[in-house]
Amino acid sequence: MQPTFHRLAVIGAGTMGLGIVEVLVASGFHVQLAEASKEIGSAAVNRLQKRLNARVEKGKVTAEIVEAMVNRIQPVDQLEELRECDLIIEAVVEKSEVKEEIFTALDKITSPDAILASNTSSLSITSIASKTKHPERVMGLHFFNPAPYMPLVEVVQGLQTDPQKVEHMMDWVRHLGKEPVKVMDSPGFLVNRVARPFHLEAYRLVGNGVASKEQVDRILQDAGFKMGPFKLQDLIGIDVNYAASTSVYNEYFQEPRFQPHPQQKMMVESGYLGQKTKKGHYEYVE
Amino acid sequence: MWNNVVLLGDGPLFWEVRDYLGDYHVQVHTLDQGLPKEVHAVIDVELDDEQKKKSLRLLEDHIPSDVPIFSSALSRTATEIASWLSHPERVLGFSPILFYKMKRLEISLPLQFEESQLQAHLLFWKEMGKEMEVVGDEPGFVFPRMVALLINEAAFALTEGIATKGDIDLAMKKGTNYPFGPLEWADDIGVDVIVTILNGLYRELGEEKYRPAPLLKKMVYAGYIGQVAGRGFHTYKRTSSLVEW
Repeated sequence: MQPTFHRLAVIGAGTMGLGIVEVLVASGFHVQLAEASKEIGSAAVNRLQKRLNARVEKGKVTAEIVEAMVNRIQPVDQLEELRECDLIIEAVVEKSEVKEEIFTALDKITSPDAILASNTSSLSITSIASKTKHPERVMGLHFFNPAPYMPLVEVVQGLQTDPQKVEHMMDWVRHLGKEPVKVMDSPGFLVNRVARPFHLEAYRLVGNGVASKEQVDRILQDAGFKMGPFKLQDLIGIDVNYAASTSVYNEYFQEPRFQPHPQQKMMVESGYLGQKTKKGHYEYVE
Repeated sequence: MWNNVVLLGDGPLFWEVRDYLGDYHVQVHTLDQGLPKEVHAVIDVELDDEQKKKSLRLLEDHIPSDVPIFSSALSRTATEIASWLSHPERVLGFSPILFYKMKRLEISLPLQFEESQLQAHLLFWKEMGKEMEVVGDEPGFVFPRMVALLINEAAFALTEGIATKGDIDLAMKKGTNYPFGPLEWADDIGVDVIVTILNGLYRELGEEKYRPAPLLKKMVYAGYIGQVAGRGFHTYKRTSSLVEW
């Protein structure tokens, strides 16, 4: 039997939410997309449509397929409309109080068998689950940005999550054509945690005068990394990277290995956030 | 002009440098084979610090005081290695990790180094097709230090049961585009080499953040040092294909 869900929803139409919607509708699923208002939801669907149309122009996909994909999305503006869903993926802003409010509400309106998943990259699944009456059906489903292209999905098992439901999710993610890894709930989960030294040690090497930023990037690229840590931070946003650093550090109760570097904070305070501000570790002229 | 080089050390690091120099038709000599009349450079990749000190001191008695000594400064600063010798001003640190693959060669200079000789000494590697990156003198340079810390964090995550070995490797390749998973990378470079680098950072910088994961140390005690031993995080057949254990 194919592992599947029958009624799916994504909450939040930001970069990650919309990316996940694209993955789901591309696999043929119908998805309810919940946002604060129908206008925000429709605007997001239009953004996706535009992005997909660009691929039609390049001949990568047909207009019929794109039309079918977009037609599978139903924007809604009330959580109550999700009560029949058996899989809901939350992808709203990374604020625990916002997520807790959503999970508490979903817990009340959905069947206890429905899976409530969070796409959080930094908040504890165990903590989110603990606010619900049925924590055994709450888990992490961490897609990577950009979700349509990055194959990895971390399926995160909280302390109270039912391991069987996690296994079922692993099968379903494979069925979606993605590569799932099972991760026990812990700060930064797996990728963001193991990758911490790539960023933090880069700052220390420069801070201690061992090498310049350019040298660090050149050497690590020569060793086989696709991008050096400073170029990569400019791409993902120095503020985003700094937030991930402080979150993992604090969640681990100030474990020294995860100690952020003062330079990270100063870059953020100065507005040097990377490519998006035209200046980060490197300068970007138009 | 660099026909005769003395190479100190053994194991995979030794083989890799020897083969590389062989490609450039350099005569590679070892201490136990006896030294040639003229020595143009010394390259030391010995991992064991006591043996390193012994070999370098023994060799120094038999070579002129201006022959450059390139020493792998993975667990000691180049400054400390230089301090073992009567002529410390001709010592340069260099990174032997991924020696064959990397075009760039990391070089570190001891405090005692005679700066006026830098270009003359680096000419050796330039003629061997390397591009130099002169970096500061802390143990482990840039790449060895970085990869050791990534592997250390992966070993901690594995110890804590966050994910399986296979999933840790898969996640870092698919989630962040690393060329290898950290655990398979450890097996390739050698778990003993990684622990040597971490021990050096921990001792010389004196910070908790460089503490080697106990699992890595136990693997060295058990001899599970990676591909060369047939067993590390993964097990290997002769063909060096990957098998889980």
